[in-house]
Amino acid sequence: MAVPARSSEWVRPVARQEPASAIIEIDRVSQVFQTSARKDHVALSDISLTIEEGAFVSILGPSGCGKSTLLYIVGGFVSPTSGAAKMKGRAITGPGPDRGPVFQEFALFPWKTVLGNVMYGPRQQGIRTAEAEAQSRALIEMVGLKGYENFYPKELSGGMKQRVALARTLAYHPEVLLMDEPFGALDAHTRTRLQNDLLNIWERDRKTVLFVTHSVDEAVFLSDKVVMMSKSPGRIRQVIDIDLPRPRRRNELLLDPRYQKYVVDIERMFDESDEAGPDL
Amino acid sequence: MMSSAAMAKRAAPVLACIGLLAVWQVASLALKNDSFPTAIEAIRAVPSILGDKESLINILASLRRMAMGFGAAVLFSIPLGLLMGRNAAVAAFFNPLLMVIYPVPKAALMPIIMLWLGVGDLTKTLVIFLGVSLPVIYHSFQGAKAVQEKMLWSGAAMGLSPLQRLVRIVLPAALPEILTGCRTGLVLALITMITSEMIARQSGAGNILFNALDMGQYDTVFAMIIIVGAMGICLDAIFERVRAKLVRWSEPQFDIPLSFS
Repeated sequence: MAVPARSSEWVRPVARQEPASAIIEIDRVSQVFQTSARKDHVALSDISLTIEEGAFVSILGPSGCGKSTLLYIVGGFVSPTSGAAKMKGRAITGPGPDRGPVFQEFALFPWKTVLGNVMYGPRQQGIRTAEAEAQSRALIEMVGLKGYENFYPKELSGGMKQRVALARTLAYHPEVLLMDEPFGALDAHTRTRLQNDLLNIWERDRKTVLFVTHSVDEAVFLSDKVVMMSKSPGRIRQVIDIDLPRPRRRNELLLDPRYQKYVVDIERMFDESDEAGPDL
Repeated sequence: MMSSAAMAKRAAPVLACIGLLAVWQVASLALKNDSFPTAIEAIRAVPSILGDKESLINILASLRRMAMGFGAAVLFSIPLGLLMGRNAAVAAFFNPLLMVIYPVPKAALMPIIMLWLGVGDLTKTLVIFLGVSLPVIYHSFQGAKAVQEKMLWSGAAMGLSPLQRLVRIVLPAALPEILTGCRTGLVLALITMITSEMIARQSGAGNILFNALDMGQYDTVFAMIIIVGAMGICLDAIFERVRAKLVRWSEPQFDIPLSFS
């Protein structure tokens, strides 16, 4: 990474290894689901992918291409039928606080307040209540929810819930963020705002992010690298490096011909194949 | 200031009570039957029952058995239901068993239980336990099954062990459903309590009621029905208050205001 990470009070300084070292390696992973009619559905076929530390990588593809499954395998929530995923050279055998998920469904704990949700991870890691609370309050402020600390999830809008979910995951300092179509359930306006805010937060400490989406714009806007997938069976079509300057500003980027070219090229590549492209 | 709608809502159950008593009073006066005292006669008999030490001891003994049976059933049924909801093997083992037991009236088992355990507290408490268990197991099971997978994954990523996830995620997430089962269980506890005392007549509120019936003291019979009914209404109202407090975080569901709280 060319830009040095700026550390701040809510981010535990991560000992940075030499730049561009692999943090996640996916090695010939296949996932086969048995459907009811004794037919096998090949969700993922022979996926190999290396994700570098500090990179923002999007997995882009039509629904049903297995992109979320791939994310769940990295999270350790699902075991692959064959092949293996590794985190820092170690085989992934289950979930762990080094990989923090953010789901489209938010998956907040509804019986906890906003503060209670965000504090949950740090408390689980044995951090003292006062300290966990101070950290959590700072994070809640960072995601723009100051004043909502004592609200329950049911009192929040979708966008606010996803902000809480992001803060809850950041609170236990995962080394990799696993985002599973996090803005997929939100309206266009809220979605844009959250994309901007996510970029701002990310550009401060450059955690590794694996981001699943079916939106071409979103993938190009956010990512260093876009992994294009095709479906039936789920395979990697192409990996595209997005060479756009950071920090990225939405209003500048939308006018940038390089950004437009990436979007158009990727859309064309999806259109050229027989299958329906993303967003269709 | 309460709005008139809120006031009407509050007054509705009280009005229903008064209406019921009025119909009773009129019907009794019209029928002029010895075995059907008027509402006023029955209500007049209530203080003498509650003032009588012997009766009070009986009623308290009933309540004690009910509390023990209900408490034991809840402590047993919630963990079992939650385990069934999260573990297919546990569910596969217990489900057929429960399906068989479910429609059997628990009071019908009493003769056998009496044969084995006598006619004392243990038998009656056990019958209450059996009556309460099934709805609580069922609702805990449903609640645990409905817990969002991603919520459990979020917990797993934070480092919660499977047991911690069961206690600290599945239990609170299923709590609204569990408490619905407990509320049904509470009413069933009252029903099985009276039933068990009707069968094994030795002590308790049900015993007072049936002794009075044997002796033709119909005002006492009806007074006992009022007392037991009032007990049920009070217990349910208290429970409903506690429940509403415990799950004030949950999404509002279809809520039929079936209580006095």
